[in-house]
Amino acid sequence: MAATSKSTVLLKAVKKITIQFCPFESNVRSTREFLALVGSEKVRSTNTNCEVISVVKHDKSEPVIDVTYVDGERLVMKGEWLTCREMLSAFQSRCKDKDPQIKAGAKK
Amino acid sequence: MSATLCVKLQRNQGWLPLIQSVRHGSKAVTRHKKPVHILKQKLIAVTQYIPPARTVPPGAYPSEEKHVQEDNEFVLLLKKNLEEVFEECKMIAVVQTNACSVDDMLMLRHRLCKHSIKIRFFPNQVMRSFLSNSVYSNMAPLFIGPTVLFVSKEPKVKEMMSALRVSPQMTLLGACIDNTLLSSQGVVSYAKLPSLTVVQGELVSGLTMLTSRTAFMLQRHPAHLSALLQQYIKQQSPDDGAEATPKAEEAS
Repeated sequence: MAATSKSTVLLKAVKKITIQFCPFESNVRSTREFLALVGSEKVRSTNTNCEVISVVKHDKSEPVIDVTYVDGERLVMKGEWLTCREMLSAFQSRCKDKDPQIKAGAKK
Repeated sequence: MSATLCVKLQRNQGWLPLIQSVRHGSKAVTRHKKPVHILKQKLIAVTQYIPPARTVPPGAYPSEEKHVQEDNEFVLLLKKNLEEVFEECKMIAVVQTNACSVDDMLMLRHRLCKHSIKIRFFPNQVMRSFLSNSVYSNMAPLFIGPTVLFVSKEPKVKEMMSALRVSPQMTLLGACIDNTLLSSQGVVSYAKLPSLTVVQGELVSGLTMLTSRTAFMLQRHPAHLSALLQQYIKQQSPDDGAEATPKAEEAS
């Protein structure tokens, strides 16, 4: 599916990912797919300090993905009308932006 | 604007015609598209050709009826298994697994086997088609993505929750316990319920509380009276004893 594009998902710049959704709603497909991709063992192993927390609710609320980066920046994605690919590309582009910054900072 | 004058030929031959058409004004043949006169436009619009609606001959295209795909035998077998699972097991929990490693799965299976909870996997399509035909159709939206069923004959929710807490990548989506569909919060509150005997004891005590209170109220006055009389007797008997001994001492 989106396997080829996720081959370089790195979580090095990420501190915490919180995914909350209500599984009985019909608009959670993309959020659940995002959770399946980000929560897999391969991706988790890139950064063991990063927590992937999933909260399952039952109050007809919209699905929200909340990413907290190491430098304190937060990325909030409301997954009701987004596809998994869009969310993944937004997430990965920001991770890549932060990653070389961290590497450059570490080298210095 | 070009004006064409009528041409009338004189009957006398050899004479030049009196009236000759002269082209003047704008040209007929132009490089751009000449705007069509409004009257001509109207005429063209009114007299436009409308072809008759072409009906498709009956056998040309395949009919649009929804083809009920016959299930192949493997799917039928899976559905039979599902039926058995739903009949036997009181607790069926739906858990989303996010690409667990094999070791983690083995550890989880081992932990759950101790409490006779089995982990079963069925393909989502088969699951959804089975559920839509059965009573449990409201569980169908849970089965998206990588999901796995935890089934057991006895509803051992606490053990299941403790096992799930240890493995962080499994997310409990919902459960069907005793033919009732519960969300994850429902499962948590079910786990916190006390056992059946405790609840029965509480119920019995609550019911009998009223009757015991009325019995106590009825017996309160006679009980009070008897207590007072006993107290009086106790008071009297030491007084009698005290009076009797001084009298005995006086007598003696």
